[in-house]
Amino acid sequence: MTQTLRNLVLFFERDVRIARTYRGPFVLELLEALFGAALFYYVARFVDSPELRQALPQGTSYFAYSLVGFVFFDYLNAALDTFDRSILEARDAGTLEPLLTTQVSLTTILIGSAIYPFVVTTLRIAVYLAWGAFLFDFPLRAANWLTVVVVLLASLLAFSGLGILSSAYLLLFKRGNPAKWLILGVSSVVGGMLFPVSILPDWLQVIAHLNPITYALDAMRAALLDDATVPSIARPVLILLFFAVILLPVSLATFHWALLRTKVTGTLTHR
Amino acid sequence: MALLGTNGAGKTTLLRILATLLVPTSGAALVAGYDPVHDPAAVRRHLGHHAGTDLGFYPRLTGRENLRFFGRLNYLSDAVLRTRIAELAERFELVGALDRQVRTLSAGTLQRLSLLRALLHQPKVLLLDEPTRSLDAIGASEFRRFLKTEVHLHHGTSILFASHILPEIEFLADRVVVLKEGSLVAFDTPSALKSGTGSSSLEEAFFRLTGHSVHSPEEVRPV
Repeated sequence: MTQTLRNLVLFFERDVRIARTYRGPFVLELLEALFGAALFYYVARFVDSPELRQALPQGTSYFAYSLVGFVFFDYLNAALDTFDRSILEARDAGTLEPLLTTQVSLTTILIGSAIYPFVVTTLRIAVYLAWGAFLFDFPLRAANWLTVVVVLLASLLAFSGLGILSSAYLLLFKRGNPAKWLILGVSSVVGGMLFPVSILPDWLQVIAHLNPITYALDAMRAALLDDATVPSIARPVLILLFFAVILLPVSLATFHWALLRTKVTGTLTHR
Repeated sequence: MALLGTNGAGKTTLLRILATLLVPTSGAALVAGYDPVHDPAAVRRHLGHHAGTDLGFYPRLTGRENLRFFGRLNYLSDAVLRTRIAELAERFELVGALDRQVRTLSAGTLQRLSLLRALLHQPKVLLLDEPTRSLDAIGASEFRRFLKTEVHLHHGTSILFASHILPEIEFLADRVVVLKEGSLVAFDTPSALKSGTGSSSLEEAFFRLTGHSVHSPEEVRPV
């Protein structure tokens, strides 16, 4: 266990060292977050109406609602992208084979390569919220940070299964998984990113409730905007963990199978 | 031991099977006493692999950072790594390259860095795919001497390497595996291969064993 943790830290350290060699993007991302937060603030001012206020949870501004939806949607995006990207980068740099001839397990390589992108996504979200609070009165004081952390972890586990499945597809077919874009597209409409699921037609609400992002956004909004405690959001968190319990073993088994297939067909490093 | 064969004979495929990077469709193999298909983790504990083409480093990290990363993934402590890297870098004349970003290093330097990485955990078996491909004549000669004296004779590491360079094979290999279209056609010492085929050189023996016609120097006339 300790060795596995040390290995995970090694991967994180590797990515921090690589990221340190690129200085420009960090500053640009800070600015991108500023413009992103401003965009939501002004859109929210423009679309403010009694109907909208009625559809939102009580006391929540549309700015706060949409900003949380937008930035936490990034987690789903990161989960679906991170594992694919780590495989692609390792394949293109030629580091995939040297990694696979070391003594660490494939699971460690996959998880280790995902830590840094998730940490960066978390920091980006923090910067968005900080700009929102600093310039546009985003209500950070209403947040329950312990609950935020719990929701984040449960969301990461639930989303990662989808990401690992996507990278298994990439290993086999050498191209990004088209289902990834379908998941992102569907989730952006029915997941409650910019408007409540309750305004959707019934049949779309059914789809929404089969999607982990819906529960993640519900729980995150409650934690950030309504000071919700962990017990009060137990239901969405348990549903997220249920997704994780199903998706993680299935996705890891699928990835192992895909890797074995590429070792049999000799296509592991093919582009 | 050398693997000799024409392009597409299966040399790299065999090395990759032994390195646990490919799964064979049939047959069996043992590396340091372990089966690469059924016990790949044990094989990797005793194996160093140096690929001929994709050398696989993180271009924006320094040589030392790359070596440390891969060394730690082979469960070497920082203290052991410091000593091993310093010792091997000295012998490979890589001391000046260690703290430069890998993307700034020449192909030959990268080749040596890759071999250094393969040797960090003192493997029992070393697999090399065309190890001197990117080295100049002096570098290649030094490299062969190092492999023979330091790695093989001094440390007792078994080396299996693929090469097209026949003098390299004669210098390094006790025995030669000759492959043709995925099948083994001969396995013997270089001198036995020559005498067994009535050849005066390993090149001639290789031509005869793989069914190619041997051209005498007289047949090659200037145009």
